[in-house]
Amino acid sequence: MKKLFYSIALSVLVAAGSSCKKVDNYAAPNVTLKGTVTDAGTGKSLQTEQGSGTRIKLLEISWSATPTPFYISSYQDGTYQNTKLFAGKNVISAEGAFVPLVQVDNTGKTIVDKSQTVDVKDVTTVNFSVEPFLRIEWVGDPVLNADGTITTSFKITRGTADANFQQNVSDVAVFINSNNYVGNNNYDNRYTPKLSGNDANNTIGKTVSLTTLGGALPGKRSYFVRVGARISYGLNYYNYTDVKEVKVP
Amino acid sequence: MKKYSYMILAFLLCWTSACKKLDTLPPNIITDQDVFSNSAGIQAYMARMYAELPLEDFRYSPARGLNFFWIIAPVSATTGEALSRDQNGSMQENLTFDDRPTTWSLCYKTIRDANYFAENLPKYASNYTPDQVNAWLGEARFIRAVTYFALVKRYGGVPLVDKVLNYPEQSIAELRIPRSSEEKIYDLISSDLDYAYTNLPASNQVSRANKYAAAGFKSRAMLYAGTVAKYNNISLVDGSGNRLCGIPAAKAVTYFKAAYDAAALLDGKYSLYKKSWAAGDKNAQYQNYVNMFFDASSPENIFVRQYHYPESVHGYDAYNVPRQLMGANGYSSEVNPSLNFVEMFDGIPKNADGTIKTTTNGKYDLYTNTMDLFANAEPRLRATVVLPGDIMKGISIEIRRGIYTGPTAGGISPLLPAGSTAQYPTANIVQSANASQTPYKLPNGTTMNPAGLSGFFTGDGTCSVSGFSVRKYIVPDKPTSEVLENRSDQTWIELRYAEVLLNRAEAAVELNSLGQSDKSYVQDAFTQINQIRERAGADLLAGTTDVNIDVVRKERKKELGFENKQYWDMRRWRVADKEQNSTIYRTLMPFYSANDGKYFFDARLDERNSRYTFDVRWYYEQIPDGEIQKSQNLIQNPGY
Repeated sequence: MKKLFYSIALSVLVAAGSSCKKVDNYAAPNVTLKGTVTDAGTGKSLQTEQGSGTRIKLLEISWSATPTPFYISSYQDGTYQNTKLFAGKNVISAEGAFVPLVQVDNTGKTIVDKSQTVDVKDVTTVNFSVEPFLRIEWVGDPVLNADGTITTSFKITRGTADANFQQNVSDVAVFINSNNYVGNNNYDNRYTPKLSGNDANNTIGKTVSLTTLGGALPGKRSYFVRVGARISYGLNYYNYTDVKEVKVP
Repeated sequence: MKKYSYMILAFLLCWTSACKKLDTLPPNIITDQDVFSNSAGIQAYMARMYAELPLEDFRYSPARGLNFFWIIAPVSATTGEALSRDQNGSMQENLTFDDRPTTWSLCYKTIRDANYFAENLPKYASNYTPDQVNAWLGEARFIRAVTYFALVKRYGGVPLVDKVLNYPEQSIAELRIPRSSEEKIYDLISSDLDYAYTNLPASNQVSRANKYAAAGFKSRAMLYAGTVAKYNNISLVDGSGNRLCGIPAAKAVTYFKAAYDAAALLDGKYSLYKKSWAAGDKNAQYQNYVNMFFDASSPENIFVRQYHYPESVHGYDAYNVPRQLMGANGYSSEVNPSLNFVEMFDGIPKNADGTIKTTTNGKYDLYTNTMDLFANAEPRLRATVVLPGDIMKGISIEIRRGIYTGPTAGGISPLLPAGSTAQYPTANIVQSANASQTPYKLPNGTTMNPAGLSGFFTGDGTCSVSGFSVRKYIVPDKPTSEVLENRSDQTWIELRYAEVLLNRAEAAVELNSLGQSDKSYVQDAFTQINQIRERAGADLLAGTTDVNIDVVRKERKKELGFENKQYWDMRRWRVADKEQNSTIYRTLMPFYSANDGKYFFDARLDERNSRYTFDVRWYYEQIPDGEIQKSQNLIQNPGY
């Protein structure tokens, strides 16, 4: 009797266990989307910061006309990549320190729409060519002075002729940090010189030199230098140069 | 047989009469009739709505949201007013903590309660006098306005719900209400508060709104709207042209005028608390300022939230007393005012750049007692902050960083280079890692603990990490046995007359700067600021040429410090991202020089190296993703 009971119980368990074999047969996301946001004026990739800099906005319209946006943050050098996406039809645009690709006027009408509708599958590359608010060029390399400070020369020009994006330059800074992830999100304020207000706005079109603060920099290490500037528009994104390394002996 | 049929029939007949009334409510459910038809029911309904009112009081912190007991990451430690071991940076309000409802959903619950009240009370109006009904309707509108204000200052434009929504009578599609423009929400707040002002009586039960509370809140809300119109440059416009984030700059004057006029309505109705104030007597002015926060009959209190042990409590004392007054829960010193905050006040020696002066010709100034540095400090500073060596609950609060044992001939040079965030050198300095200290033998043979009883301890943060402790709102006579979590019940003063005067002064200065000259705005701002300064015992402004927006804002920071207002002020002024940009706040460390037998002070950057950076996106907080999933018509704020 007991044996019978156990064998019935066992067979029920086996049956229950084997009936649940429904496999999640939807393929794991394996589609890659990558690309570069470049400065239309210079053809170079547009430097940014990670986290609160350039990001790529995806609206997947395969299923819904009003999807919740999905964002991919760009690397510091203006490239981006995501290797774990599902295939699908996406409207892709970018946000950052440049003339917005999608603009809405104050009646809610879309007046500019440079977003791209792309079938994202396998490995898809989508590039954007944008007009940065500001274009910052190095004027020579940063110089390590005899007194242990670093002087950086640069020139800021407007990156766009669009009349709507000629707001005053609110901040200019030569960001200094001890690793190459340097920018407004990551810098050492003991050494970083900054300009704001009129001082910042007056730098436009001129070659400006700024020297690190706080006297001689501690030695036997490298410093990473990057110039950033921003205008008072929207989320006040910074435009940047690329990063240069200065070795302090 | 026939007999049985009759019996069955009779039996069945009994059934029909018994089933007379099946559709009846269980008696344990309270109906609208029970609540709205008598004033006790109304009182209960009101109590609930006031309890839900989203105030940033003793039970609020950005880390854990509204109405939560555990406040160890205080608001003031996100703004730089204070430093705290449990809050090391700036932050937007946490969306969810521990599955607690979000501010968004809490606010809409309260709005529904207010709308429901306003729609249902008139059905029972015959039970009351018209004045009663109007007053209660005014209160419901007041509550709705305050709640919408809590939403708009966080998220910008939000869905405007001004009536009760019903499901399933209304379809889901109908209930997915899109966001209104920020301007429309402020206009709703304005009209609700106007309604409340017209209908509310001049006085009401304590912790319920009267007409002047409505006017006072209006001055606050309209000032916010005006500053957003003037200083914001974030824009988000939906497909139908509603500006969800931002207000057209052209509206700034309208809003500032509304703020100014609303503040003027309180003229003569309230006054600054000066019961024990005496001209020229710094001690009386100090005591007066301390008392203000505990006097239930203060003529300055416009709108308060009361607490009462044991049914409605908070833990402000337990979390924030200095270390040496610590209660049995083991909490203390969560709010340690930063030197940046202390330096704003008058009456302390200062360098040309406004920072505190602790050295002369590169050598530390020496003082016999730590309080000597603050001998002439503004009374309001002493009443807001416990300075090292000042008295609290009858004992001297001892804050000392360590003992300097090095040579002192020719003076002591700064221990660290300016701007350093490094640890102090261990040579020539004796410090304590925690509260169990090894006394140090001084040259004169006596012994002294390296650190004060309230810190600074190098090993754990359970001490004053800034060199100061907070005094505002700490009950001066609470025995240590009662310094426990959920044991405090002092009243939270949400709106006091000083704020209304500051609102008025700020609106006036802004109107003047926008070219308005229909009133003598600068003169008016001058008068208001000097009223506040006089009560505070601060230096008075000499003339109207001294009045500018920075002066007004600084006065506001000083007067309303640690009242959870600066968190929002920094945002509406749109200065938070400038003030907090990889910023390290300053601390003041008192040392005892063993060979001099005197104290010196080292003003330095916070050695914990807590960097504060305010993300520009946070001016408009993230709408909870859960809300967007429920209603895809909600557009997320920029940058999230």
